[in-house]
Amino acid sequence: MMNPPALEENQAEGNILVWLTGFAFLAAMIGIFIYVPTERTEGVIQRIMYFHVPSAWLSFFAFFVVFICSILFLWKKDREWDIYAHASAGIGVVFCSLVLITGPIWARPIWGAWWVWDARLTSTLILWLIYVAYLMLRAQSSAGSMRARYAAVLGIVGFLNIPFIHFSVLWWRTFHPQPKVISNEGIGKGMDPSMLATLGVSLCAFTLLYFLLMGERVRQEKLKDEIDRLKREKLYSS
Amino acid sequence: MNLFLSQISAIVWKDFVTELKTRELFSAMFIFALLVILIFIFSVNLSIVKASEVGPGILWVAFLFSGTIGLNRSFMLEKENGCLMGLLLAPADRTAIYFGKLISNFVFLTIMELFILPLFMIFFNIDLIEHLFPLLFVIFLGTLGFCALGTLLSSLASNLKTREIMLPILLYPLLVPVVIGVVRMTGQILAGEPLSEMMNWIGLTTSFDIIYIGVSIMTIDHILEE
Repeated sequence: MMNPPALEENQAEGNILVWLTGFAFLAAMIGIFIYVPTERTEGVIQRIMYFHVPSAWLSFFAFFVVFICSILFLWKKDREWDIYAHASAGIGVVFCSLVLITGPIWARPIWGAWWVWDARLTSTLILWLIYVAYLMLRAQSSAGSMRARYAAVLGIVGFLNIPFIHFSVLWWRTFHPQPKVISNEGIGKGMDPSMLATLGVSLCAFTLLYFLLMGERVRQEKLKDEIDRLKREKLYSS
Repeated sequence: MNLFLSQISAIVWKDFVTELKTRELFSAMFIFALLVILIFIFSVNLSIVKASEVGPGILWVAFLFSGTIGLNRSFMLEKENGCLMGLLLAPADRTAIYFGKLISNFVFLTIMELFILPLFMIFFNIDLIEHLFPLLFVIFLGTLGFCALGTLLSSLASNLKTREIMLPILLYPLLVPVVIGVVRMTGQILAGEPLSEMMNWIGLTTSFDIIYIGVSIMTIDHILEE
């Protein structure tokens, strides 16, 4: 069996990305555990922020990609966009789970409670539930045009819900630490430059990881399609 | 436009005639809502908690749960004997099917809610009469939002193998903003505040209703496609 040429080409690109992501993570680890000073009031636990914030960024970015790909799918009806939306939703849910896990680890010593019903915690939890439902919907329906169309509709409906969730839980209650990087005083004023640099490197590393995982997931899905096609051809045509 | 309206009214009329003949949906929704309220009364100690504080939440949970039964029923009925296929084959716009279903879901749920309100008043000893009009307005906004999104998602879930389970799993996280809004507003109304005090919530719920009806119009063609 020969490899389709497109897949081999992807693999070469993938290798560069693997190395880039590896180096970025190495740099981020050095930054987080060696370079950056310990925060004065919160202590060593504050270092979890360098994982927490990039995971949150990555999951929101992934859900945004789901939204865009869902629109493009309904417009173009091309299987490619469906694969992208599926892959991105899976990655988004994984990193959203990481946000929900790293958050309580930090909150326990700082707030004295694992979980409080604060605006941002609540909205992240709801977001997680929406995209878990999205993945369940995909798992429930058999492969084909119906699954792709339904998932795309839910991808759009779910993302449009984010502003409503944001405002409703904000007016409900909030006591999450205010954003430090982009604050009222201007971009990057609320943090020490070394912390900001570490956070930046960590953000880059996570973003690269997203594209790496995306590439792998998309390749997997395409191989799955290929296997299905071959199965149909070889099993049912003879 | 006239044709569109008559298509919608035909679907609504059909749902009403079926319901008048069988009477199974309304009675099920009503009794279920009553049971939800009853179970909540046992789960909170009303001698410690003030009835006007837990009341709005319990009322809306009852509405949402029994509304979900109605939504599940609404498209299940169409799946039986291939009625949905008939609807799709009829030279009607898909949007008309959506609006017909939306209106009949909305009317059924509203009638059920109007029957529940007096019972709620008696069980919780809350005087609703003096706040009746603001309360009805909030119930209108909340029920419309629930039905707008619920009709879209139930048309989607009706084609899945596990439709009764999937509908609430898909619907409830998306409804959280509306639930927070209407429960807050109902609480404030029962505390005697005027509607002008809660313009932010009214704005949020109204835009939720409008956006989700709009999204449904745009996407229903992709769901009701065989």
